[in-house]
Amino acid sequence: MPPGLDNLRHIVVLMMENRSFDHMLGSLTAVDPRIDGVTDQLSNPDTTGALVKPQPLAQFQGQLDPDPDHHFPAVDLQIFGGDTSPTRVANMQGFVKSYFNQQQDVGHSQKIMYYFTEQQLPVLTTLALEFAVFNRWFASIPGPTICNRAFAHYGTSFGRVDMNLLYLNEPFKSIYDRLINANPKHTAKLYYYDTTSSTMEITNLLETQSELFGTYPQFLTDCSTGNLPDYSFIEPNFNDHDSDSGEEVASDQHPDHNIQAGELFIASVYKAIKASPLWPNTALLVVYDEHGGIYDHVVPPACTPDQFTASANDTGTGQPFAFDRLGVRVPAILISPWIPKGTVVDGRVFDHASIPATITKFFLGDYWPRSPRETSADVFIEPNVAPVDPTRNLLSLAGMRDDCPDFDV
Amino acid sequence: MTLIHVPRPDVKSVMNPNRPVNALLKAQVQHLHAAERNLPVRRRTDIYVNAIKTEGEAAEYIRRVTEAIHEAHEAAAAKRGRGIAIAAAAEGSGDKAPSASRGKKMSKGKRARKT
Repeated sequence: MPPGLDNLRHIVVLMMENRSFDHMLGSLTAVDPRIDGVTDQLSNPDTTGALVKPQPLAQFQGQLDPDPDHHFPAVDLQIFGGDTSPTRVANMQGFVKSYFNQQQDVGHSQKIMYYFTEQQLPVLTTLALEFAVFNRWFASIPGPTICNRAFAHYGTSFGRVDMNLLYLNEPFKSIYDRLINANPKHTAKLYYYDTTSSTMEITNLLETQSELFGTYPQFLTDCSTGNLPDYSFIEPNFNDHDSDSGEEVASDQHPDHNIQAGELFIASVYKAIKASPLWPNTALLVVYDEHGGIYDHVVPPACTPDQFTASANDTGTGQPFAFDRLGVRVPAILISPWIPKGTVVDGRVFDHASIPATITKFFLGDYWPRSPRETSADVFIEPNVAPVDPTRNLLSLAGMRDDCPDFDV
Repeated sequence: MTLIHVPRPDVKSVMNPNRPVNALLKAQVQHLHAAERNLPVRRRTDIYVNAIKTEGEAAEYIRRVTEAIHEAHEAAAAKRGRGIAIAAAAEGSGDKAPSASRGKKMSKGKRARKT
């Protein structure tokens, strides 16, 4: 049995906000050509017809204001370039046009093509180069936050493509419900930053099962005391606010929140796990919920349709949506001391339904019922049950690494 | 082992609780407002959510409702605990009072009516 899988007891997911793969990690193609990021061949037309290339000019804050539109109709324009014909083909040519629609400013609209340099993002790029970076992890829906995060919790958004509430009594249980009601019982917790940031999109769970929730300080304590649950989901701070410990800057990296505050937060999560006695037994996934309207060059692939359909009225495009293709690509990195340095996961497609799919398969094995999207999603950690396919096992080292990086946070 | 330097933003210059709420925070406020309607009346806020315009205002509302939800759960758990303790004591004394399991059911029934 691979020792990495044999030792694995805890899986932690940190989900950040609204940044595309090319925007955050696109610069790494120059460091490792296996990473599918930004090249000189890429461009988008602006509204004058001029071609705009991706440029390493992204700023930490103040540049993507107003918040780029990432609701369903806008993402449709970004992916299909404005073609609404029945025979249209996705080409990722509508990002500048979409951003232009918000301010009618050609110069400002071009900023949607900007990306960060490796040096600007020392935490995210280091983790990507040191552990396993996914070349094909997509948002679950070409739409906004709430429905995309629902896929991480439920394996579906129950037919929704917008920011509306998720209701109770839906046909599929959350990953938390599944774990804590299993026999034998498992443990799960959703750590939100603090009560002033609270949780983002599963208010219905907070309303009915508040014992599932903890704060970020509790996560730090659970790490240091070796008391992490089997599964942890961490949310960053979603707003600027005062607290007993001082001024708290939003760390979610949602435009126009500060990128460096998010870098610090990612580093602090990593550091807490690495300093924990549970480091040999824990895998951390850092992933973004959706692209936030920001440019990426990879066409989202088709996928197994969900059993729900969003109506033409709900999508706002005049066409219904069967949840049969994915959203725009986002950064995703899997971290464990059992992963070889410089792992690039290529040739496999993941989306946020991969999260409950992986957690369920790893901790519970077979489970029913689950959504068609979840049951067809690829898993990023295989269970430690023979036979383990070595080509799919990312925690493949025979011995634990002792050269994993540290951050001065 | 490599030690990576992580630059810190200047909190004074980046902190802005007067920033207009984004669509995400607006949705969060609406979700919590829906949850607030299920709280006992005495635990609800008197904040008119449609008047929330800044991150600071949203943060204050989010804090108050989140705390109220947790307090309501703690109060319900305490009440449940008292029901179980009373029933267990009665059973131990030989009375024909409700059993522990019946006590639990009654407690759940009370909660159901409240919500």
